[in-house]
Amino acid sequence: MKAFVVPGRWVIIVTMMALIISCARLPVIKPVDPEAMQDTRERCRRPFLDSSYRFIHAIEVSFPGGRKGTVVGITLVDPSEKTVHSVIMTIEGFVLFDARYEKEVRVNRALPPFNAEQFAGYMMDDVRLMFLAPEGKLADAGVLADGSTACRYHGNKGTTVDVVVHKDDSWNIETYSNSNELLRKIRVVEVRNGIPNMVELHGFGFREYTLRLKLISAEAVSPRVNQAPPGDIPEDEE
Amino acid sequence: MMKKSGAKRYVFLMGILCYCIFLLGWANTWEDIRRESKKIHSVSAQFSQKKHVQILTRPLVSKGFFYFQAPDSVRWEYTSPIKSVLITHKGNIKRYTQGEKGLVEDAGGPLEAMQIVLQEIGRWTRGEFTENEHFSATLKGGKAPSIILTPKEKGMAAMISRVVITLSPDRQGVIKTVKIFENEGNHTLFEFTDVQINGKISETLFREM
Repeated sequence: MKAFVVPGRWVIIVTMMALIISCARLPVIKPVDPEAMQDTRERCRRPFLDSSYRFIHAIEVSFPGGRKGTVVGITLVDPSEKTVHSVIMTIEGFVLFDARYEKEVRVNRALPPFNAEQFAGYMMDDVRLMFLAPEGKLADAGVLADGSTACRYHGNKGTTVDVVVHKDDSWNIETYSNSNELLRKIRVVEVRNGIPNMVELHGFGFREYTLRLKLISAEAVSPRVNQAPPGDIPEDEE
Repeated sequence: MMKKSGAKRYVFLMGILCYCIFLLGWANTWEDIRRESKKIHSVSAQFSQKKHVQILTRPLVSKGFFYFQAPDSVRWEYTSPIKSVLITHKGNIKRYTQGEKGLVEDAGGPLEAMQIVLQEIGRWTRGEFTENEHFSATLKGGKAPSIILTPKEKGMAAMISRVVITLSPDRQGVIKTVKIFENEGNHTLFEFTDVQINGKISETLFREM
């Protein structure tokens, strides 16, 4: 039987790669003075809603290889109840996806390609990441090397969420796996009156994608609107 | 065709409607439509699209222009809230949507869907409404004549319950509204204005954005 000998230099290369991967590090958060801690924590909440809102976005979806498409997204977010209702439709008005998150995801409508397995769950996770404060435990708060305010939350599934608010009041939200691999990166490019005018979301890993959300309208709403029964069609439009 | 995706089916239906709605008012019978459809050379119109969906308290309004030039050139243009232009001309299909760097050409699904639309437009050009494999058509006469399309297949019915086309009562040959009913109270209302039949349309509209 012929022995299989691994060349010594390959052992070194593989070992080095394993070390590099296992040593992936989260950005370093430097501590602030205890007196400034409360302000730091409050600043970290800046990206998140404190009352119910309805957003309409033009969403440009990009996949590797240059495939692009644009859809319309309508999102109703209630931070007090931690509920999210999301509808995606074509520019021509055809509803492709309609789901609501209230402790769990309930899909009302999902047509191809939005009916893929686990799509609804990932979709609602992305929406919650954008608009709702992380539910995990606050593990660290301070500043990054560039002076941005940063807070780190540890989630139940071993994930880490970093909320970074820059000096110009724009922000990033990043999610990392339990091995510190970057999973999601949200970058708010423009903010007007505290509402993001342009948001970019990059999804990493097995299926990479980019969403660019351009705000069409933002409207403060009563939380009760989120639980409104299905509306009837006005008679005058029949 | 049974396996056509929801979005494709919808775009296919929209393409059919945007073309045929300008023919329907010319006639009171299907035979009239078949005969009169051969006389259409061009169509231009403005449209508004009001999307009613449960999550909204007020409809989302989109606006744009529609142009058709025989035999198969179409420009379907949204001007707000999202700029989008679909152009089909001499067998080429292109779609542009407002992106980060201006109007960006779409690749993939939407173009494939529009290929289907073109094939179907050919059928409707011949006035073949009643032979449609997806919808049953009912023509209702009277002062405000209308066409009601109901899906034949269960798959289509799950997405679109019916389509109601209302003709203008005071201008023969002009459509007033098209309403597409989805499920759970969601529907889309298209209203057409400034409809011009057989007017001159510059060819550049079908070649350039």
